[in-house]
Amino acid sequence: MAKILVIDDNAELLEMIQLLLEQRGGHQAILSADGADGLAQALADPPDLAIVDVMMPGISGYEICRQLRANPSTAAVPIIVLTARGQLVDRQAALDAGADDYMAKPATMMELLDRIDALLTRRTAAKLPFLARTIVLLSLRGGVGVTTLAVNLAATLAQTEEGTACLVDLCPSSGHVALQLGLRPEPNWSDLARTSVLDAEVIERNLLQHTSGLRVLASPVFPIAGQGLPRTVVQTMLATLQQRFAATVVDTPSALNEGTMAALEAAPVVGLVITAESPSIQTAIGTLRALKQLSAKFQIILNQNTPGSQLPAGAIEQALKRPLMWTIPFDPAQAQALARGTPLVLHSPSSPLAQAMRGLAQELARVARATAVD
Amino acid sequence: MEEQLRTTWLVADFFTHSYRISGSVDVRYRKLTDRLNDRTTAFLQLEGAYVSNIEHPTDIIASHASSVLRKHSIVAVVVARQENGLPPTHTYGSYLGTCLRKVFITVPSFEIEGYLRLSSKLDLRTVLTTGIDDFVSILDGQMRSSLRPDITFTGGVILVNKDYVDAFWVEEEEEE
Repeated sequence: MAKILVIDDNAELLEMIQLLLEQRGGHQAILSADGADGLAQALADPPDLAIVDVMMPGISGYEICRQLRANPSTAAVPIIVLTARGQLVDRQAALDAGADDYMAKPATMMELLDRIDALLTRRTAAKLPFLARTIVLLSLRGGVGVTTLAVNLAATLAQTEEGTACLVDLCPSSGHVALQLGLRPEPNWSDLARTSVLDAEVIERNLLQHTSGLRVLASPVFPIAGQGLPRTVVQTMLATLQQRFAATVVDTPSALNEGTMAALEAAPVVGLVITAESPSIQTAIGTLRALKQLSAKFQIILNQNTPGSQLPAGAIEQALKRPLMWTIPFDPAQAQALARGTPLVLHSPSSPLAQAMRGLAQELARVARATAVD
Repeated sequence: MEEQLRTTWLVADFFTHSYRISGSVDVRYRKLTDRLNDRTTAFLQLEGAYVSNIEHPTDIIASHASSVLRKHSIVAVVVARQENGLPPTHTYGSYLGTCLRKVFITVPSFEIEGYLRLSSKLDLRTVLTTGIDDFVSILDGQMRSSLRPDITFTGGVILVNKDYVDAFWVEEEEEE
């Protein structure tokens, strides 16, 4: 929930926007019908976002934008100018005054909400720290949502200010990363396994481009017999990607094959994904034991991928003898996102899952940074 | 769902020879064209009028809670959405037997391009000389400042005061 300040001298419109923000957007609306009063409120208690009308008695919306930008406490507050002056020159004047976005009245409610979501996402993403690390997500029990988390995490990281993130699908049995992103998995890493020269150029050629900016190394459509990618290929590939991208997320198969082991060894942080059910926890306990030499880098991520009551977090932590790093709540919209081929974090940036993914990205970055310092 | 943040007040840009005046007109009962073409009054009341010089059209030099414009001083009115500015005879579904003519009009300080909807049998020359309406509706209009061509104003409809039309060209004909 974001705190959104709306400054508009039209009381009727203020009321409508309040309804929109609070009932549909789930945000907290702070209203001001007076420009000077609204500016004072913003400076005294900076909002997460401000919606400002241009034409108001006393002080114009442009002047409010300028003053918000000039004050350090509000300089980064996203501002949407919503005005009946809807000409190109007005748009340019709003942007010149410091607004992030501009909407001409009459605006549709959904468009306004979309713009708000987009700006809030951009702002949150901009706060995500620079990662420059490889993050591996793993579960030796299938069906816990590793690929879904990997796709959404990578899409979240691709929206950071650095904006470069790569997602690697190591699953040799027709991995679904490309499917979840609505991409045709051609080219994929099958060629990398055969090439005699594996350098940055070759790897770049095999990366897919998603519209969000995320780059993807897809797995082949048809299952591959054998071990998948050799250890040396994965090592070289991840080392190269780490040079090229701010963040590399690796989706691993539910098997400790050579490629998975190489990724686990290369990554400073491994997200061990579990669900709140006994078989998943049992498998996690086994995984931590089997990979005892690497277990210090493992962080437990609880993915609540089903609705209804769950095993309590305390009981899970007791069983695993380690704390949960992060919990991803169940989000019914995820099923539609899968069918649509658009990650939920991109389609619905204010959804519970999207918010949780941003939190997870920040926490993983914090751990990765701490690991680097150690 | 395309709900709009709509009120009973229509905001439009009114242009005189020297000023851009943005203000709200009460359209609860009548269309803007009806109000402009209503000959029982020579004035138009605006709520929340914001005034800019046309050479600096985004700088608000004055604002007033309520003001009155003399209709004869209005050169043109730019309305964002076509349905808010069209005369009743142009409502949806009344298009049969009409055609769109692309037009180019000059008025003091501005050049206006857009489309004029006419009955196909109507002689274009009569547009300015017949009828009692003072304002003619130019659809999908673009109005460019003569002195500063980089400044343009666009609208779903531009209502042009016939008294200020210097020249009127028809550029082409399009079937509707």
